[in-house]
Amino acid sequence: MSNLLVPGAFHWLVVSSLLFSIGVYGLLTRRNAVGVLMSVELSLNSAALNFVLLNRFFAPGKVDGAIMALFIVTVAAAEAVVGMAIFVALYRQRKSVDVNRMNMMSG
Amino acid sequence: MLVGNETLYTILFYALSLAAVLFALLMVCTKKILRSAAYLMAVLSVTAGYYMLLGQEFMAGVQILVYVGGIVVLFIFAVMLTRSVELDEDKPTLGRRLLALLVSVLLFAFSVVMFSWSELPVLLPGLPGSSSGSAVAEIGRRLLDTGPTGYVIPFEVVSLLLLAALIGSIAVAKYDSSSGGGAR
Amino acid sequence: MTGSVDLSFVLANAWLIPAIPFFSFLLVGLFIRPFSERLSGFIATGAVAVSAILAGILAWDYVSFFGRASDGYPAFVSWSAEWLRYQEGLVVNVGTLIDPISVMLLVVVTLVSTMVHLYSIGYMHGERGYGRYFAFLNFFTFSMLGLVLAPNILQMYVFWELVGASSFFLIGFYFERPSAVAASKKAFIVTRFADLGFLLGVLILAYFGQHFFTEVSAGAAEQPFDFLYLTRPEVLGKLASVGSGFFGVGLLTFAMVLVYMGAAGKSAMFPLHIWLPDAMEGPTPVSALIHAATMVVAGVYLVARMFPVFAATSGGLNVVAYVGAFTCLFAAVIGCVQDDIKRVLAFSTLSQLGYMMLALGIASLENPAGYTASMFHLFTHAFFKALLFLAAGAMIHAVHDNEIWKMGGLAKKMPFTHATFLIGALALAGIWPFAGFFSKDEILAAALHGGRYGIFAIGVVAAGLTAFYMSRIYLIAFWGNARTDKASHAHEAPLVMLVPLFVLALLSIVGGFIPLDKIVNISSVGVQQHGHAGIDFMVAIPSTVIALLGILAAWGLYAKQSDTASMLADGFSGLYMTVKRKFYIDEVYLFVTRKIIFPYIAQPIAWFDRHVVDGGVNLSGWSARICGFGLSFLQTGQVQTYGVWLAGGAAGIGILVVTMLLWS
Repeated sequence: MSNLLVPGAFHWLVVSSLLFSIGVYGLLTRRNAVGVLMSVELSLNSAALNFVLLNRFFAPGKVDGAIMALFIVTVAAAEAVVGMAIFVALYRQRKSVDVNRMNMMSG
Repeated sequence: MLVGNETLYTILFYALSLAAVLFALLMVCTKKILRSAAYLMAVLSVTAGYYMLLGQEFMAGVQILVYVGGIVVLFIFAVMLTRSVELDEDKPTLGRRLLALLVSVLLFAFSVVMFSWSELPVLLPGLPGSSSGSAVAEIGRRLLDTGPTGYVIPFEVVSLLLLAALIGSIAVAKYDSSSGGGAR
Repeated sequence: MTGSVDLSFVLANAWLIPAIPFFSFLLVGLFIRPFSERLSGFIATGAVAVSAILAGILAWDYVSFFGRASDGYPAFVSWSAEWLRYQEGLVVNVGTLIDPISVMLLVVVTLVSTMVHLYSIGYMHGERGYGRYFAFLNFFTFSMLGLVLAPNILQMYVFWELVGASSFFLIGFYFERPSAVAASKKAFIVTRFADLGFLLGVLILAYFGQHFFTEVSAGAAEQPFDFLYLTRPEVLGKLASVGSGFFGVGLLTFAMVLVYMGAAGKSAMFPLHIWLPDAMEGPTPVSALIHAATMVVAGVYLVARMFPVFAATSGGLNVVAYVGAFTCLFAAVIGCVQDDIKRVLAFSTLSQLGYMMLALGIASLENPAGYTASMFHLFTHAFFKALLFLAAGAMIHAVHDNEIWKMGGLAKKMPFTHATFLIGALALAGIWPFAGFFSKDEILAAALHGGRYGIFAIGVVAAGLTAFYMSRIYLIAFWGNARTDKASHAHEAPLVMLVPLFVLALLSIVGGFIPLDKIVNISSVGVQQHGHAGIDFMVAIPSTVIALLGILAAWGLYAKQSDTASMLADGFSGLYMTVKRKFYIDEVYLFVTRKIIFPYIAQPIAWFDRHVVDGGVNLSGWSARICGFGLSFLQTGQVQTYGVWLAGGAAGIGILVVTMLLWS
């Protein structure tokens, strides 16, 4: 097998940024507010992946990257909780979670 | 390290990558929200696989437990709670889709170009003296380390954050019959 | 000469003389005017009286101190303070220049101003704006004194404009009258237009004067704007040698003709004379002070100040002489047929100013008799013209009308006014022994002995016409029976108005005997001067004869209530109307202004200003608003819109940075 195909850091990073970009696409595209947050989770997840893989390639004996990923997961969880609470409250008021309809700050 | 063999490592990597990208694309493109949540679950699981590949078994476990088992479930709950009868469709306009595509492609291209210019390690270095348990112990030790390279403060702060998130979300989403259903 | 002499207090602090009326102006105008009218009048008059006393002391000091010196009376700057400093070689000071003519004018201005102030206390009694009147009168006195004392052209220009502004205020004093407003505008615009030439001339002189500054190296005491610098022979020699490429006329001549334009405007020489007759819309004391004795002589004063510079030009003085002579005759002719007493006096002033100008014009550095004569005539004319105006004011006050045909028989009703008016009229006509005889004869003598026979002839004819029109007025207004009801009920003016008449009449009598020619002398070359005891009969006889002829003609036409005058007028009706309408000059001006300047020059410029200049400014405001309006569409309120811009912007900036890094 050629050296080029063996996944080095470059390949890993490409995958991680691909996932991130897809997450950004979803963030900018989804109409449902929950869908938007799901895309955000995707992006966050790819960021955590980034930490872990870079940790492995550059500092194999250490665990700092894993700890970072841990924190990312935790914070993502907190963020998702609060976001969902807000959407639930918003749905109660407006009967809709359509992002396009939430434009009171226009002009 | 889970894989002692370079070939196996390569095959696993590409397989997992394919699955991840596929599921991610499906996730952002599907019109049905619940399917989107399911695809998200798939992607997160694949990421757990990645962590295994990279030798961080503990992280893989955490990923499954927290992300898949907690957050995605939360999303599904939220979808259920905020579903209006017809609103299953999620079709953004063509203009928006093109614009978003452009932006994300730009971002991706930029990142890739930047990576290709950098000097990145090619080989996956072996773990010196690794066994599956030491990583966990190390993580635990570092989390409670009060020294200069310790993470005890972020650890405590994050726990406070979780507490705040808990309380806050209850406060926001609480059903108050006196004011028509909203909080306060 | 300046610093080495121990000057008396008044000489060293000559700035007090203009300063006192200025502070009085501020005091009266701001504080006293709202409260007490009488107090305004008293304070204003008192201030000018103090200035007059100081001027008298200054004149006495000057004459007695320097009289013993053998090299004549010096010109020096007794006090100065630095005002503008552009660079080392271009400094403009504020100061006081003491020399024979400035001393003389100081005395004249303050004295006449005091008389006018005193007179106004009675004349303006009960009028609206009494306090405002006195404040402006003080302001005018300050401006005129500042002009007289100016040591450099720039200060003179500043005060020149201030004098113009005061004149504007005072002519338009009765601002509810449209004719007064129009007259004040006219005066201001005409003189302002003339000042354009003045300023250009000043700038040319200063530019080249500064150019030669380092070569001549007059030192810090004299700067390119200073009169003392500009009149130095070395400087003049250099200035005169610069050509200007303007019809082959030398630069100095070009500049001085422009300067003369300013003087001609202020002194109402033809064709810039149109404002002076209309300026009679102001109160009569104002006419006496400003338009007879002081402001209008500013032009003559300027020419006298810059006389060496004019003399160094080729033909500049000729311009002065011819314009002056023409105005002299022109105005005298028109004055013969006017019915408004103030108008007649106005044209008389024009004519006498013409005399002063022509006297300056025919003089030269070798033969300075004309210079001295001009200044002497300025001196005497101030007194008797002011007297005539004030007496006319008394008459108008009594009869409530300006027209002489509404008066008549005033001799019995107003004896004192009658006597003083007669004295003034005889002085103006040039009858011995009144002041006008001596000063006018000196001018005519200068013309005759200088070989300028044409000008001499014009002067003699004008003298005859002067006698004619003054007698005409005198006879119609004072002799015979009252022509209207109002005239029959006329009564003498109050005492406060009679005292100035008395003082001025006295001065009109003795003024001719003051030996001014010993003091006012432009040339250092000893020239044979005629003493006043000696009368030059070659001039005196023709002038007296023609004056008597004029009086006789008037007597024949107007002394008895006959129809001869009106028959003559009807017989020559076309000519008569043309002269009466001042040769239609005003109509020509109106035509040119309305039909040519307004539509073809003023309106395009106004259009340009409104649409291009203002439009440019509006455009910048409008474009900012439009940009804001356009950009506001970006704010849709939707998070994803912002997200797109955010991510896209981030990616864009990243790519930009990378590209720039690549290229560097």
